[in-house]
Amino acid sequence: MKKVLQVQSLKKYFPIYGGLLSRETSQVKAVDDVSFDINEGEILGLVGESGCGKTTVGRMTLRLLEPTSGKVLFEGVDLLSLKGKELAMIRPKMQIIFQDPYSSLNPRFTVERIIGEALSVHGLAQGSELRKKVETLMEKVGLSRMYLKRFPHEFSGGQRQRIGIARALALNPKYIVCDEPVSALDVSIQAQIINLLQSLQKEDNLSLMFISHDLNVVKHLSQRTAVMYLGKIVELAPTELLNRKAAHPYTQALLSSKPSLDPTDRKRPIPLQGDVPSPLNPPSGCHFHPRCPKVVDRCKTEIPRQIELEAGHTVNCHLYDD
Amino acid sequence: MHSQDPLLDIQNLSTFFHTEENIVRSVRNVDLKIYPGETIALVGESGCGKSVTALSAMRLVPMPPGNFENGRILFKGKDLLQASEQEMQKIRGNEIGMIFQEPMTSLNPIFTIGDQIIEAICLHQDKSHEEARKLALKVLKKVAMPSPETRIDQYPHELSGGMKQRVMIAMSIVCKPSLLIADEPTTALDVTIQAQILDLLDELKKETQMSILLITHNLGIVAQYADRVAVMYSGKIVELASVENIFASPSHPYTKGLLNSLPKDTISETLETIPGAVPHPAFLPKGCAFHPRCAEKMSECEQEIPGLQPLENHAEHQTACWLYNKTPAL
Ligand SMILES: Nc1ncnc2c1ncn2[C@@H]1O[C@H](COP(=O)(O)OP(=O)(O)OP(=O)(O)O)[C@@H](O)[C@H]1O
Ligand SMILES: Nc1ncnc2c1ncn2[C@@H]1O[C@H](COP(=O)(O)OP(=O)(O)O)[C@@H](O)[C@H]1O
Ligand code: SF4
Ligand code: SF4
Ligand SMILES: [Mg+2]
Ligand SMILES: [Mg+2]
Repeated sequence: MKKVLQVQSLKKYFPIYGGLLSRETSQVKAVDDVSFDINEGEILGLVGESGCGKTTVGRMTLRLLEPTSGKVLFEGVDLLSLKGKELAMIRPKMQIIFQDPYSSLNPRFTVERIIGEALSVHGLAQGSELRKKVETLMEKVGLSRMYLKRFPHEFSGGQRQRIGIARALALNPKYIVCDEPVSALDVSIQAQIINLLQSLQKEDNLSLMFISHDLNVVKHLSQRTAVMYLGKIVELAPTELLNRKAAHPYTQALLSSKPSLDPTDRKRPIPLQGDVPSPLNPPSGCHFHPRCPKVVDRCKTEIPRQIELEAGHTVNCHLYDD
Repeated sequence: MHSQDPLLDIQNLSTFFHTEENIVRSVRNVDLKIYPGETIALVGESGCGKSVTALSAMRLVPMPPGNFENGRILFKGKDLLQASEQEMQKIRGNEIGMIFQEPMTSLNPIFTIGDQIIEAICLHQDKSHEEARKLALKVLKKVAMPSPETRIDQYPHELSGGMKQRVMIAMSIVCKPSLLIADEPTTALDVTIQAQILDLLDELKKETQMSILLITHNLGIVAQYADRVAVMYSGKIVELASVENIFASPSHPYTKGLLNSLPKDTISETLETIPGAVPHPAFLPKGCAFHPRCAEKMSECEQEIPGLQPLENHAEHQTACWLYNKTPAL
């Protein structure tokens, strides 16, 4: 299988300034040693609680944010070594779709301008050809071409998300980071957008990183799923396997906290105790240890290493390391 | 059937907003009874009138532009819509507790959480500061706040989202309300925290026979925590039934559409969708407001609004749809 993206030991430490002279006093380890690949035509789900570093990972794979260290290979090319023209050449192939369809579109631009902007900036089309291309894109995402001259505020949340997707598709990307693209939408509209993303993956052989905290949506959409906790990927597996044989206690807790849609099935397992700790001051050893129901002594001091349980299924947990 | 009288009895309530441009019909002729000790979930897509219904019951709708067009809201037999503002202040936070979606905006950033809980107590109860502080500490323990003795003297910004939501719950239950209105109480929280908070509310309900009006658009939460479910669409309740019946045998095409559009456990290729979007409440279609999106639309649907009526042989399962009954709405 061809790999579109390879991420190796990626880190992002944000400086924290404080004290009298506003010197750097500490660091937030927002992403701390993360590695994974995305295959051509694959959707990789990235799940985890708020603040665990999902958006930061996504933005670094697009080089919208400079990593502190680590490697990102896009179609085999070392993204972080690229400069100027080379970087500008590769950028169109990588796009992002945001969570908030309200704030991610310029309110003063028409739909035509929003979707067509990248095409005209890159000198790829203009005039009637540009108009045609925009119309084709609108059709592709299920927007009537009657809306060409309308402004974002005239659309519903689901329609705005379609505009955002059309904009991302304009330059024929290979890889798109979808950062919670359906979280702000109602279920019936969410289903429309999920179907759209799925058809794009199939028709255009697109690779997607799908960031979400809705495990049902990720299960439906992604071929493989990575679970993050406080800056680290703690488990990664084919989605079906992860749902059937989750190994990490945190993944198990996430899956069991997910409310079942069957009102006659109300035997709830004990939910996880405590809050997500701050990444400013992560617990020692395994970051999950203060909340882990299976914690053992070494968890408090030793950071667990990555263990391969079976082909393609990795977990970072001492329970599996003997 | 319910042997007791309803605790809250919303009768034919309509709440509109008269804005400069148009009339926003947010809540239209809503009838809803909440009995002691039950959790009733109010579900529906955003903008369908869930929050305005809840705000109406608390008399917190901004007026103007808001206006109660008609109806009554009986709480323990007394019409809240006729109550004076002074009477409402006695009821709010005391007999009716409330939790809102955004804990960050609902807590005052310049007071400690202890001060805020103590104020909530002293507003309604004749207690010394010392006694109130003791009670505040007790209620913080009750909501499973970690290290409550330290947290009580901290400011909201020093707490995580989950802890802030626990403070909100502590404030809303400290006066032992008989009704708790919870508007999307866990939407801003992560799943593992969400489960903790909802289990906590469920325990309180069982312990004190409190009733809960739970507003959410998460159908998993509805399935797990509600006793009855009211489905709203464009300002009207379109289906009302026990939680078991809503999930096992939904009748209204909108309810069916909502349930079908959820990702299932079986891996399916495409999800079912409801085409189109919710109409703006200032420009409602004639007849059944769902008709432009409904696959089962008939000619009468475009003419007259269907009334909320019991299904044949199911007095407790009501639907507002021409497929099932021939009685128009009021
Ligand atoms: N520019 C920044 N400066 C300092 N800290 C930052 C910055 N951006 C992000 N962080 C911190 O890094 C951590 C990871 O943030 P990130 O936005 O990647 O989380 P996330 O997993 O996407 O969360 P959410 O689900 O809430 O979107 C958080 O603790 C966040 O506060
Ligand atoms: N103060 C207000 N002025 C005008 N319209 C309002 C006001 N508050 C709510 N609305 C409108 O009433 C409708 C129902 O809102 P709401 O009850 O908040 O929906 P939800 O079901 O998402 O809670 C929406 O269309 C909303 O825009
Ligand atoms: S390493 Fe220890 S604390 Fe961490 S998840 Fe595994 S058992 Fe739990
Ligand atoms: S009344 Fe008609 S349009 Fe409305 S839900 Fe029933 S069948 Fe559909
Ligand atoms: Mg994020
Ligand atoms: Mg609301």
